[in-house]
Amino acid sequence: MTSPAPGQPGDDPEERDPGLARERTSLAWLRTALAFAALGGAVLRVNLPTGLLILAVAPVVWQLGRLGQGGAPGSGLSPAGATRLFLIALSVAAVALLSLGIAVFGQYVPGALR
Amino acid sequence: MSWSRRLAALLPVTVAKDNGGTEPDPRFTFANERTFLAWSRTALALVVAGLGIVQLLPPFPRVPAGRHLLGLPLIALGAVLAVAAYAEWVGSQRALRRGEPLPPSVLPWILAATITLVAVIAAVVLLVSALR
Repeated sequence: MTSPAPGQPGDDPEERDPGLARERTSLAWLRTALAFAALGGAVLRVNLPTGLLILAVAPVVWQLGRLGQGGAPGSGLSPAGATRLFLIALSVAAVALLSLGIAVFGQYVPGALR
Repeated sequence: MSWSRRLAALLPVTVAKDNGGTEPDPRFTFANERTFLAWSRTALALVVAGLGIVQLLPPFPRVPAGRHLLGLPLIALGAVLAVAAYAEWVGSQRALRRGEPLPPSVLPWILAATITLVAVIAAVVLLVSALR
């Protein structure tokens, strides 16, 4: 797992420029934000306030992803990298626990799939 | 290592202070981050599935607790995966910095075990609800 020596790029364009990796990571953040939005939309039908709360997380996730995209090409993660991922992990766990609460105590929505 | 020290090693403050080894190739750092994000989305998808089963599916005949038996493990798995994925990201980033082999991943094992469990529960619930 070593990079080619400077000035001797490999055949793979990515070995010359992490820009594509950066781009893929940016898109992965966007997908994660969309996943939050989708879950929020689903929860809306079951519990309106919780659904709105989860929907509100989606743009925050998107912005957290943009935070890591700054910096000169070739630079690594900012020191805030760990905090961003920690926040995502906390949000997903919190959303899961909220959903667990809704699943246990919530009211069944009849005919929602019809 | 005790549990409290293990947990403290996962806090972002501790992770950011880790300056052992050298900064890895940015592509590896990005790839590690994407893997974490992919696991997070998997966790969210499991939560959606679990919530959908419990709240939106009509009840199983003769098995009133059937939906909860199926949905609650999926939602709980979502919470576990989110935390485990972060721990794994920390471990991988640590190994990348030091040029060590990546630690083996337990996430696929957790996911496969829970999905198998849920599939077995689903089969039992369906059988019982179909039997007269």
